[in-house]
Amino acid sequence: MAKTTHTVSFTVNGEKKTFGTRPDEKLLALLRREGYRGTKYGCGQGTCGACTVLVDGRATYACLLYAMQAEGREVRTIESAGTFDNPSEFQKQLVAAGAVQCGYCIPGMVMSATALMETEAVLEDEIVKEYMDGNLCRCTGYEKIWVALRKTLDKQASAKKPAVKKTSKGAKK
Amino acid sequence: MKLCEFIRPKNLAEARKALRGLGPKGMPLAGGTALHFMQSKAPVTAVDITRLGLSYIKQKGDYFVIGAATPLSDIQRYRGPRWAMHEICRRISTHQIRNVSTIGGNIARVFPWADLPVVLLAMGARMVIYSGKEKEINADEYFSSQPARLFRDGELLTAVKIPVLKAHHGFGSVKAVRNAAAFSLVTIAALLELKDGFIKSARVAAGSGIPFPQRLKAVEAALAGKEAKTEVFREAAAAGGAAARWTGGEGMSADYIRQLAEVSILDALERAAEFARGRAE
Repeated sequence: MAKTTHTVSFTVNGEKKTFGTRPDEKLLALLRREGYRGTKYGCGQGTCGACTVLVDGRATYACLLYAMQAEGREVRTIESAGTFDNPSEFQKQLVAAGAVQCGYCIPGMVMSATALMETEAVLEDEIVKEYMDGNLCRCTGYEKIWVALRKTLDKQASAKKPAVKKTSKGAKK
Repeated sequence: MKLCEFIRPKNLAEARKALRGLGPKGMPLAGGTALHFMQSKAPVTAVDITRLGLSYIKQKGDYFVIGAATPLSDIQRYRGPRWAMHEICRRISTHQIRNVSTIGGNIARVFPWADLPVVLLAMGARMVIYSGKEKEINADEYFSSQPARLFRDGELLTAVKIPVLKAHHGFGSVKAVRNAAAFSLVTIAALLELKDGFIKSARVAAGSGIPFPQRLKAVEAALAGKEAKTEVFREAAAAGGAAARWTGGEGMSADYIRQLAEVSILDALERAAEFARGRAE
């Protein structure tokens, strides 16, 4: 890349870092240059969602954001969500559902779903669709992605429910 | 648009001083998404206005006051008495864009497909502009042409004031699109004031499908004093179809867009009337 002229400091996946950059460099280009390559370049114009990262907990297109805008913010990439050996629940469900075809859209899908799960208490379908409306799958694998996400959310919801105390009704005395 | 420099002023006065000094080489930046649609190759200095306390929504007297750097997703999630702004914000672009795009960015430079100018025209909103001190401009004046003319000396849009809807007032908006995240083909917004089932006053505006957002005075005239019912709304919608200069695009003819506009006007009026009746009880 061309010579850097500025610096920008922000937290990436929990680590505070300072990077060289230029005023016209996009956050996506900086992240990929610095090794966060799970964040994908798709359309480059804020449509497909492959570059979705979380900035202060909100899903954002890294291809539209200038790197300088990230100053002081908390940025999270797909590398924070899970690893090959220790995938997140949604990543496990995506594999189980056979939802990963070419896989290019998946990092963005996972980050949008992370924002959803960390922000919303009630996970009705309408809200889930709203959080996921900025992520396209060019393999058109939406149905299986939806199944995987819904299973993840239902599992999360049932884990949050307080355990129902068994009554002694009907029990043998 | 190419950025050659990026500065972060600490307060409004500093931001204005910087923009004043830079002239056309300076550009206020909040979400920054609009910059991607600006074709100019001339390098500009971005003046970051996201750290000036301009992101908020509060009710103050008869107005909801929305800071210019408030993201659309915050407006979408906000709830207040007789609040009507969330519906249109939910329909703008995608979740990721709504998280960064701001109300100020949507109206400081009016793109042909922008939805908020239409809504703010119908609502009779007021724009707050800082030039060392604050002044207010009503929506009709603000949107009479491209607002850039109001920011030539480093002035900054700092807030948008939206009247709190009273009882018997109803608001409805319709955005016709090819798919959920697409730019609008036609956006219509309508504010109706009803009294005993009749239309006491109406403000109806349109955007996209016409060169620049505007009030549809022919529709408003066709509604004034009439009973709030579908036949009246249909006649008013036809008046709107005939009055404005609808233009085709994205493979659609001007006549198709006109018909789409008429249907959208009818829907917006029905929604506004339903809203008003609900509020009246």
